Amino acid sequence: MIQVSRLVKIYSAGEIQVVALQDVSLEIAAGEFVSVMGPSGSGKSTLMNILGCLDTPTSGSYKLDGVEISSLDDTGMAKARNLKIGFVFQNFNLLPRMTALRNVEIPMLYAGIDAKERVKRATAMLERVGLAGRINHRPSQLSGGQVQRVAIARALVNEPAVLLTDEPTGNLDTTSGEEILAIFQDLNRNGATIVLVTHERDIALHTSRIIHFRDGRLVDDEKVDSPLDAVEQLKKQRTVPAALSEGTRFAQTGEGDAR
Amino acid sequence: MNLLESIRVALEGIQANKLRSFLTTLGIVIGIAAVIAVVAIGQGGQAVLMAEMEKVGTNIFFVSVDWNDESSHKGFSAGDVQVLKDRLPGITHLSANSSNTDNVRGPKKKKYCTVQGVSSDYSFISKMTMKEGRFFSSGDDGLGRRVAVLDEALADEIFGRADPVGNMVSIGSTPFLVIGLVAKGESIFGFSENVNAYIPGKTWRNIYGSYISNLQGSAVSKEKVQETMEQAVKVLERRHPGVQYTSQSMEQIKQSAGKITGIMTLVISAIAGISLFVGGIGVMNIMLVSVTERTREIGIRKALGARRKDILVQFLIESVVLSVLGGIIGMAVGIGGAFIIAKVAKWPPLVSWWTALLAFAFSACIGVIFGLLPANKAAKMDPIEALRRD
Repeated sequence: MIQVSRLVKIYSAGEIQVVALQDVSLEIAAGEFVSVMGPSGSGKSTLMNILGCLDTPTSGSYKLDGVEISSLDDTGMAKARNLKIGFVFQNFNLLPRMTALRNVEIPMLYAGIDAKERVKRATAMLERVGLAGRINHRPSQLSGGQVQRVAIARALVNEPAVLLTDEPTGNLDTTSGEEILAIFQDLNRNGATIVLVTHERDIALHTSRIIHFRDGRLVDDEKVDSPLDAVEQLKKQRTVPAALSEGTRFAQTGEGDAR
Repeated sequence: MNLLESIRVALEGIQANKLRSFLTTLGIVIGIAAVIAVVAIGQGGQAVLMAEMEKVGTNIFFVSVDWNDESSHKGFSAGDVQVLKDRLPGITHLSANSSNTDNVRGPKKKKYCTVQGVSSDYSFISKMTMKEGRFFSSGDDGLGRRVAVLDEALADEIFGRADPVGNMVSIGSTPFLVIGLVAKGESIFGFSENVNAYIPGKTWRNIYGSYISNLQGSAVSKEKVQETMEQAVKVLERRHPGVQYTSQSMEQIKQSAGKITGIMTLVISAIAGISLFVGGIGVMNIMLVSVTERTREIGIRKALGARRKDILVQFLIESVVLSVLGGIIGMAVGIGGAFIIAKVAKWPPLVSWWTALLAFAFSACIGVIFGLLPANKAAKMDPIEALRRD
């Protein structure tokens, strides 16, 4: 699904050149759930930007779904982002003035899908992430976990080849974070290819493969034999007294069940 | 992106910043309103002027001496009128006019006003309506009788309540018998507010000298005016060698008056149009602010698949919606203003559909022109940079 070979990214600011990625080669097969780990400045964000077709490499090749991305122009990149990639960000990045439904409609808008179909598909997708009763709420009327689920619905609505997610649980409490991971695991079981960037090993352990980055280089490709099951983790957490667990209120409404 | 969706987003943006949007559009509102009001009032005035001239008669013409030619001091002779009328069948009426200002004294008071020496045909050419009495006849003129016809306004002033017809006035130091009163017209422009005394041309020449300033005539039809007028000039030039004449028809005067009022309207609306330009700059300014404020939104949209074109179109539409909204409000204000001013000035406001359409199209153009720079700035944004922004 993703084939990266000898990828180099150099940022030049005037005289100074910063090497963000150095000779990175990597292959991610369809249906994999991979996490990318590394300290800040390790190049993992740069890799994500290139994988997400937001940035182009200085040299090297990146093939997504069989298409060489570095040969695409601006419009081609936009089209790839629109149809091949689903983004889930740490800070959610929903448009605040729009309802959940309209936020989910945005990618379909740029794909040229007509209004009736948009509403139908967006509603179905929001139901799938457990927000059936919240489709006309604005982001400010939703909890952090719910907002991230809207973002996931938005990322999935054009049926992308890859789901790219950058610290998706970073702004969430443990329970909500675990719920989001449960959704990802469920999606992955149903065939979705997911790349998750994180700096927390606890999060990375939910995936089946961890790629380690340091100083712009891929330093380790670790196989996780038995990934943590988010649903199991949630069950464990519920034994903890509610008062101690922030955000349990949302977990107990049962809307987090994407199983 | 979908056009409707873009308009919806634009309207939501405007709604979210009501005061700011209102102040931004104000420039456009004032500009469009000013242009529409000026054009409406100008066209109304022009229409009234034209109607007035039409009423005077489009078959009327004037022949006068071309004073650019130094040699001609004595342009017309008393016999010219009869000769022209005999020779040219296109002429229905012809009057030799002289005019002067002098004191006209009645029983109540005196008035310094225009004393016109004219032929008996003058009342037909000028479409005079007599309120009382009669206009003088060609006999009165031929004999140089001391009879006078007064404009109603003049008679009212110098006679007071006394009946003027059959009474005497003195013009200068010469006594005249008043034989008729000219009724006031119903002109809107006040053409009928004339205060003239009319006396037979020959009588006038006996008192003030033999000078005739122009000939005024009416042709059988509007179509014949030009031809008749030119023929008259030819006959006159043959009769008075060395003198040059110029002729002008009411139709020509009407056309040039129309041209002048048209140009005036255009000039004033061009000045009003400057405020439209200023308004456009206001739109551009606020759009630039909007682009900066919504950097993150632009980043999100780009990450979700918006092409440069989509972002460009979205912000252009927003700018056009803002301007057109201003245009529509301006149109309402302008039409309202035109009606109010027209009511005060007592002439009909003419708001033509093309002015409204033009204003609408113009405000949309302003939106496009002044929205282009901000929209382009938005479209060119780097999605990674934009997403990083708070």
